[in-house]
Amino acid sequence: MSTQFSKVLKAVVKTFTQINREKATGMLDFELKELENIFALLILGGFVGLPSPPSPIAMELLPYMERELTILLARTDLSQDPLGVLTGMLEID
Amino acid sequence: MHNTAFFLGKGGVGKTTLSCAFALALARNGKKVLIASLDPAHNLGDALKTSLNGEPKQVEPNLDALEVDLAHWVDTYLDESRAQLKATYSYNLTLNLDSFFGILKYSPGTEEYAMLWAIEDIHCRLAPSYDFVVFDTPPTALSLRFLSLPAISGLWVAELTKLREKILQRRQTITRLNPESPVAASCVDKSDDKVYGKLGSIRARLSALGALFSKQSFLSVIVNPDNLSVLEALRIKEELSRLGIPLSAVCVNKQGVSDAAWEQTAELGHLPQFSYNFSRAGISTRDELTAIGAESLMRYFLEEGKKK
Repeated sequence: MSTQFSKVLKAVVKTFTQINREKATGMLDFELKELENIFALLILGGFVGLPSPPSPIAMELLPYMERELTILLARTDLSQDPLGVLTGMLEID
Repeated sequence: MHNTAFFLGKGGVGKTTLSCAFALALARNGKKVLIASLDPAHNLGDALKTSLNGEPKQVEPNLDALEVDLAHWVDTYLDESRAQLKATYSYNLTLNLDSFFGILKYSPGTEEYAMLWAIEDIHCRLAPSYDFVVFDTPPTALSLRFLSLPAISGLWVAELTKLREKILQRRQTITRLNPESPVAASCVDKSDDKVYGKLGSIRARLSALGALFSKQSFLSVIVNPDNLSVLEALRIKEELSRLGIPLSAVCVNKQGVSDAAWEQTAELGHLPQFSYNFSRAGISTRDELTAIGAESLMRYFLEEGKKK
């Protein structure tokens, strides 16, 4: 009985800790995604008319930027309501 | 030591003629020389009376020549990038990106970069087999663009590297605080991050090329006895000083071609001057190229090389 209780308690504490960890890193995660989005925009800006490094440099980096490209595309979906995303993350109603 | 020489100047001043005369003078004095044309509108082969391609061809004992095939360099580079891209991306995003490759060869800057890759290849792969490499360059605008690329691209790479470091720092912090975060699965260390590694290798290549232009090369500007070519040479000198690339000599070619008044500017006047008379009979053989008399320039080049 006590072993069972201890297992449940451990699971609850673990979940609680993880929730707190997610909360603690939420802001950093948002900032990281923004930085990665900016990095991808800087590299690929030439394709959409933004100032960008010489295209051969972009070409050399492109094969290794899968994660940044995915974030760039996801950010495009959110770009309609950037304030909403920010207030949602800060839990402002 | 100087082991590379570049001849720059306005279109038509005699860059090919003088670079050939210079290379022949070195070769006929026992030095093993490679002369390479970077001009997309090649006429090095015409001047040396032989057909040339992208690989060195012996023109005479001690002298090899080649004409850089820019289209080949652009295609090779794009093919490599395409192969890398296909190997790395696992979903059909590749199909959309792949369609860009067809037009990238016409992207601004690609030709100048191809020229840099060709110079790098000659410097790293071919130059060790020779005592000296002489470059016949395209007219001013294109030459200045490729000479300035290591510095300009270096600035971009430095800024991108800083941003990448910031990204990796954030990833490390998140991974430390929350090891179960999806970020932990991405690269968090500089040594693991392929983008950071690639930026480092691009920076190293650009620095090596920048050092080749500014420290290991003898750059000579060619003018004719007319004010237009002198003014353009002055602009070349100003632009090169901004890039930290020193000019080594001024060659005044086609002396006596006309009686029109012209004036050497004080800004170029302090550099060593070498004069070459206009040949009314024309120059049609390699012996006639040698007769131009590039020995004094060659002696100065060799002396300056020893000082470095």
